[in-house]
Amino acid sequence: MKYYLKLGFILLIFCVVASGILAYLNTLTAPVIAERKAREAIETREALIPGATFEAQSTKDNMEYFIARSAADSTQILGYTFVAAQSGYSSTVQTMVGVDKDFKVLAIKVIDQSETPGLGANCVQESFTGQFKDMVLADLRVDKDGGKVVSLSGATITSRAITNSIAGSIAAVQADLGGEQ
Amino acid sequence: MSFIKELSKGIIKDNPIFVLVLGMCPTLAVTTSVENALGMGFAATFVLLCSNIIISMIKNITPSKIRIPVYIVVIASFVTIVNMVMEAYVPALHKSLGLFIPLIVVNCIILGRAEAFASKNNVLMSIADAIGMGLGFTLSLTIIGSIREILGAGTWLNIKLMPITYDPMLVAILAPGAFITLGFLMAILNLVKEKK
Repeated sequence: MKYYLKLGFILLIFCVVASGILAYLNTLTAPVIAERKAREAIETREALIPGATFEAQSTKDNMEYFIARSAADSTQILGYTFVAAQSGYSSTVQTMVGVDKDFKVLAIKVIDQSETPGLGANCVQESFTGQFKDMVLADLRVDKDGGKVVSLSGATITSRAITNSIAGSIAAVQADLGGEQ
Repeated sequence: MSFIKELSKGIIKDNPIFVLVLGMCPTLAVTTSVENALGMGFAATFVLLCSNIIISMIKNITPSKIRIPVYIVVIASFVTIVNMVMEAYVPALHKSLGLFIPLIVVNCIILGRAEAFASKNNVLMSIADAIGMGLGFTLSLTIIGSIREILGAGTWLNIKLMPITYDPMLVAILAPGAFITLGFLMAILNLVKEKK
């Protein structure tokens, strides 16, 4: 009995030392990671709606979105940006979306995905994301479901996840803004 | 048992992938492109090197009954370190490898070398073993990755190699392509060995 307690104690010491080192390194890297993520989000937003200042908002369901106002004239609303997310084939696909003030899509960018290489992972390419430009809520369904989005070949699930998440998020933002007025 | 001998054995004679057939999960998963293969190879080499050094250093104070959990703690700690450092300073690489880094914990090459080599040899030899095995692993991944990327995407390290008219052989970058490529490479290596 005493022998096994001793073994457990030795293992405990190893674990304490290891977690101490990890905790220290985490305090060094965590701020760098957080800062980089925040900077990337800002850069992506600015690429989607150029020349705008962004004001953070959130819906009742705690979905965050940004109101883009013209940098020259802050009373003029250029559009809205938000992150749409939904489970795809093998990961959660996150898409940053920029829409104009009438909720017509300006541009989208897939910011995080781990879909199948060669199939679903092609969703980051311009040939897929470019087609979303100028689409309105009614168009936002994949072709198989009667919409205007041409699915990636062999990756209908990924295409559908992106399309439906964008449609859902637009509806949520629209409802939130409608509720305020 | 010289330093050079330990270093070189991992590359051909005891190649971890083609001869020992260890670490098949990352091999099949990340070899869709050369970039991923190199990243995974070097990340695993780094973890292997660190864990071999530490395990070789603590081999005399580790009771043999709890050596496996101790090795796992050491390996998992280094994997977490690699993950955090990579995410903070090489985000592009982390984006494509993020999913696979936690898999290094259960990469049997690392636990295998800890158990079979580092726990029985001194630090210097363990370093040689780790570098040799790591390079052998990286080299094998790069070869498989090259074949799959050239056939499946027509590129090598994102450089266009094939003419525009080349229609990529999609199966090469999907899972079956990994098995087929691996099978052919093993067969070729065995053929070469038999001829000798």
